Amino acid sequence: MTAYLIRRLFQMVVVVFVVSLFMFFLFNIAPGGPLTGLQQQQRRITPEERARIRAQYELDLYWPIRYTRWLIGWPQGPIVVGGQELFANIPVGCYIEATPEEGGGCHQYVYLADMPQLHPPARSSQGILFGDFGRSTVVQAGRPVWDLLMSRLWATVELQVISLALSLLIAVPLGIYSAVHQYSKFDYTFTTAAFVGSSMPTFFFGLLFILMFTILAGRIQEILPWWPVLPPGLREAVRPYDVASWLTRIQPGSALDRFLHLLMPVGVLTIVSVAAWSRFLRSSMLEVLRQDYVRTARAKGLPERIVINKHALRNALIPFVTVLVLQIPLFFAGAIVTETIFAWPGMGRLYFDALNRSDYNIALAFIYVTTILTVFATLLGDILYAVIDPRIRYS
Amino acid sequence: MKTKKFLPLFLLLLFVLILGACAPGAPAALPSVAPGEAPSAVEDYTTPHPILSDVRVRRAIAHCIDRDALIASVYPYVEDPSALLMDSFLPKTHWAYKGPYDFPWYDPEAGKALLEEAGWVQGDGPVRTNANGEALSLKFTTTSAAFRQTWSQVMIQNLAQCGIQIIPTYAPASWWFGDTTGLSRRDFELGAFAWVGQADPAGRTLYACDQIPLPSNNWEGQNYMGWCNPVASDAIIRANNTLIREERIAAYDIVQREFAKDVVSIPVFQRAEAQAWSSSLSGVRPDPTEYATANLHEWELADGGDTIVIGMTQEPDSMWALVSSMAAQRLVDRPGVGMLYTQYSYDFQPALQDPLSTLESGLATNDVVEVSAGDKVYDATGAPVELAAGVRVIDSEGNEVEYSGEGTVQMNQLTVTYKLKPATWSDGTPVSVEDMKLGVKIDCDPNSGATTFDLCNRIGDLENDITYSDSELAMTIKYLPGNQYPLYFLYPFGIYPSQRVLSDGRVLADVSAAEWATLPEVAERPLSVGPYYVKEWNKGQSIVLERNPYYEGEVKTPNVIFVFVADTNQAVAQLLNGDVDFLDPSTLGAGAEVQTVIDAAESTGNVQYYISGSPTWEHIDINLYTK
Amino acid sequence: MTATAQPIALDKIPREGREESQLQIVMRRFLRHRLAVASLIFIIIMFIAALLAPVIAPFPRDAIDIAVTARPGPPGTVGSEGQLHPLGVDHLGRDLFTRLLYGARVSLSIAFIVVLLSEMMGVILGAIAGFLGGWFDTIISRTVEFLLSIPTLPILLITASILIRTDAQIPAPAFVTNGVAWMLAAPTQEANKVIVLMFILIVLGWTGAARLMRGMALTLRNQDFVEALRAVGASNARIMFRHIIPNGLAPILVNASLGLAGIVIAEATLSFLGVGVQEPTPSWGNMLSAAQSYMFQHPWLPLVPGIPLCLVTISFNFIGDGLRDALDPRLKR
Repeated sequence: MTAYLIRRLFQMVVVVFVVSLFMFFLFNIAPGGPLTGLQQQQRRITPEERARIRAQYELDLYWPIRYTRWLIGWPQGPIVVGGQELFANIPVGCYIEATPEEGGGCHQYVYLADMPQLHPPARSSQGILFGDFGRSTVVQAGRPVWDLLMSRLWATVELQVISLALSLLIAVPLGIYSAVHQYSKFDYTFTTAAFVGSSMPTFFFGLLFILMFTILAGRIQEILPWWPVLPPGLREAVRPYDVASWLTRIQPGSALDRFLHLLMPVGVLTIVSVAAWSRFLRSSMLEVLRQDYVRTARAKGLPERIVINKHALRNALIPFVTVLVLQIPLFFAGAIVTETIFAWPGMGRLYFDALNRSDYNIALAFIYVTTILTVFATLLGDILYAVIDPRIRYS
Repeated sequence: MKTKKFLPLFLLLLFVLILGACAPGAPAALPSVAPGEAPSAVEDYTTPHPILSDVRVRRAIAHCIDRDALIASVYPYVEDPSALLMDSFLPKTHWAYKGPYDFPWYDPEAGKALLEEAGWVQGDGPVRTNANGEALSLKFTTTSAAFRQTWSQVMIQNLAQCGIQIIPTYAPASWWFGDTTGLSRRDFELGAFAWVGQADPAGRTLYACDQIPLPSNNWEGQNYMGWCNPVASDAIIRANNTLIREERIAAYDIVQREFAKDVVSIPVFQRAEAQAWSSSLSGVRPDPTEYATANLHEWELADGGDTIVIGMTQEPDSMWALVSSMAAQRLVDRPGVGMLYTQYSYDFQPALQDPLSTLESGLATNDVVEVSAGDKVYDATGAPVELAAGVRVIDSEGNEVEYSGEGTVQMNQLTVTYKLKPATWSDGTPVSVEDMKLGVKIDCDPNSGATTFDLCNRIGDLENDITYSDSELAMTIKYLPGNQYPLYFLYPFGIYPSQRVLSDGRVLADVSAAEWATLPEVAERPLSVGPYYVKEWNKGQSIVLERNPYYEGEVKTPNVIFVFVADTNQAVAQLLNGDVDFLDPSTLGAGAEVQTVIDAAESTGNVQYYISGSPTWEHIDINLYTK
Repeated sequence: MTATAQPIALDKIPREGREESQLQIVMRRFLRHRLAVASLIFIIIMFIAALLAPVIAPFPRDAIDIAVTARPGPPGTVGSEGQLHPLGVDHLGRDLFTRLLYGARVSLSIAFIVVLLSEMMGVILGAIAGFLGGWFDTIISRTVEFLLSIPTLPILLITASILIRTDAQIPAPAFVTNGVAWMLAAPTQEANKVIVLMFILIVLGWTGAARLMRGMALTLRNQDFVEALRAVGASNARIMFRHIIPNGLAPILVNASLGLAGIVIAEATLSFLGVGVQEPTPSWGNMLSAAQSYMFQHPWLPLVPGIPLCLVTISFNFIGDGLRDALDPRLKR
């Protein structure tokens, strides 16, 4: 088991390393960038000005150098050994590039010795391995990415915890009940509904919810004043509003306001999870019910309730635990699509904004943390599986 | 087994590389030397375009475009399209516009006649051909924005009726406006994009002969058409090197006449822009060049509400105006941090800076000085250089001369005194001369993150050429000889609270410029000299402004909240149901949502709107040369 | 070409050393799943409609009816010259029914090409890995493990957003670009972008089939008939392509059918978020994205592409379900 764990941990490191390297490489070929659109300003733009803007985004450095600076915050300047500056004249980037017409190449290189002046430590990252996520470039120009992530994390956690709890409360009994009453009317309706539910794209659910509970509800309310209309997005309102005639005016920031804004995003996430999980539980339960030991327990004349609860349910829940563990990264990453549709100020939306606006430091930090959490969750799932199910042995 | 584990890694790297090979074109990090292409005998873009170098064809194109129809296609709600039409590169309401000019209007018959005259005759096919049987077919390039696709469809139909075939390319903006692609490499025949008009008409980089981007000058300049008309070029240089408004207007008038005569760029229309607000809100003052929130302190809610809510689709990237260029930032910044001056109606008015330091006010002087070799001057291209043989400068007569290397040249030198009114920061400390000094220091520090140091470059020595007053908030700047910056009368830098103590105990004045953008005290909750200050910024949700207790003037509504909404449509929905009170043009835009607002205004009367020509104008540049 | 992919695969199964009646058994079982049959019919109708899009569409794909001032316009909008827009017009004044048909063509083409290629890739790589073992197996298994342990959606989004926005030409052979362009009924520049998208989906999508096939090959390679084939001098390639792969095709077929639904959803989601199929190429996803901005005033708008999208994904899933029931006797009802 120890050898297995070490191997897996090593694999984790490799995966994170490869993913981050790949992302860095992608950003390197990403189009646009800070120089796009300079043409639209009516003024003289000197090559020095261009170079300075590029340098602000560290685009003057070669990408492997950018990568190590991002990863471990090195190099920040020449290597000093005993008061001697080593490698000060190693070019690490190109400050002013030559145009293709001039045959390409570089007019003015960046040397290690220029680094402290061109990229002062105050503006650069100390390395993501040491917990410095660098600075945002576009979304919050210059501010630390970490602060930005933290300002969004709570909204995501709130959404995920509530929908997870709700999904569990609904999915487990539903799946089990349906399996125990296989071929019943309930089972048939349930399987069809869950099947359809898990076949639909999440984002269309989101749109349908807004359509039904905000837009159409609003039109109904014009006729029936008691019909409630839900707020279509954001986490809380900014000014008092009415939901329905029988409810008092809702104050922004109040518990009720928060609750109403949660309803639709939580609803979408819950429906999607319930549809998937309850189907999973149902088939896992059916599998267990076919096992010999369940048949034996029944043959022994144990009451059906005990057979189900004591023998079958526990064994059916084992594989489900591994599914649940895979939800861990979502507490950080959030639901990108749902948060985007409902303008929920969480991590997923931040990530998507950052992508759209080419703020790659935020995107990198997000991917980095999410990848670590994902590989960690996968490992945890495998270990849990081994711990719970004695038949599994890893070597 | 264990050693083999690295294999997949290598394969993945390989895959990464292959993927990379699939999508080159972005700035390569490593210096790449292109395989030596044989240098062509003729430089790119010095061969006149076989079709477009003929002014008759260009006039015909302008005659054949029904610009009213183009406007109707994108702004169906605009009742009077003529308000958006342009016959020059300046909007009709601009102080430097002295039209009307004789720009070719929609007249397809005149267009066809011109084409016949130029040798393009209509044969059997729909496309005209010349004597050699070549078709009158032109490439049209613009961005993939839906709005441009719409009006260009109409334009293509218009031109087809005149027998001109247009082959459109709707390129990604990242290519068209890229640093080394598209427009900046003059890779077009007909190319559409927009210029943003300013209070100062500028134009020096657009229409002067020495501003034609070519391989030999490293693609410098913005005269993408390759338009070299000596009269116009001379006039545009003069217009940007004199400070007397009448002379500037006269010079611009010449450029505009030549512009209408040569038809090298067809102004299609001024973009419309719309803003809307709840009918209970009063005091809104829409303006083409000033942000609506500049007079936020005069806004008032009819029902006595103490909170105004403004919807924005964009969230500001920083509250530090120096490093941000977003409209959303300015909307919060102007009331929430303070304004040195305002710029209503393409002109400037004093605010904290009072009065404006014009020559007429006596605060500025433009003296003739004699400069000789070795003196630092501002040269004809707009760069600070040491005067030496071969340097071209503008002399005090306004003529461009080349310095011989000996003797003296007479040049104009501006000396301007800038005065601020007494004011108090939102933490109670009064604004001091130290705050002004800090502004100069930070704004001119190359590590501050500012994109341009144009104003700093116009001053020779930041230490010695700027003197500060002991008794009042004033500083005097002696600019480089030759700098005739038309906006010399505006306070050129920011002011920052030098005494402010940061959360870590340091004083703002002691923090290096490189760190400034990272400080919450600068980027999120700056002190204000304006009517409001930023009280709270909930990322991704809202920015809350509160009345600045130390602001001298009257503030009618104590609280303002800027909320960030997902998109324009949601913003409109929130305006209509009363969740927000105001949407500015950067949020409302000019798309189909405006129609929704108009309909609502007409049916319920709960909202008001204002549609106007924005300073941004769409135009089609005609490339006179070919590769 | 994709239209015939399924029948070929279907009749290969029985031909392999079993009774001819096997096909009939499978057919009979499949026909018993009524929802699956209904789904299959629906998909065939959609497919024909998509194939005939250029013929039955009442307007050119990108034609803008400028005279329609109400944009978007509701179903039944009448255009400038009295022409009827049966499903209305979008925010630019383009006929929605036309765009829907072309969108079907784009969405379905992407799904079929991606699934066909990724399943083929998975089957071949999986079969070789399982049958030969050794270092090749290690590479494939580790790659699959790697792809399964990364956060798929964020990485898919970031990769798509960057590669789609990159304007450089991809070095695809002309016949590929032209072929895809024909399938999409779109110009070749637009096909280029779609090829990038398909490439990304294939790279991330082949793992399922590879795992299935590898497992199958692992169990089959030690069976007697393989030994017997070796004894009569059959080459590895022959054993693999004639015997191992056909034997493992049943679960692959089910996987492919479910995969079609997955790819339709993935493409729609990416396009909805603006990083998939790009305007002016229509896809149901980017039509929904445009519709979202206008749904407050025009609630019917998202339903136009949304309903067919849902029906198609549900249908693919039902077909997969029916196939599973028909092919896998263990799970029969």
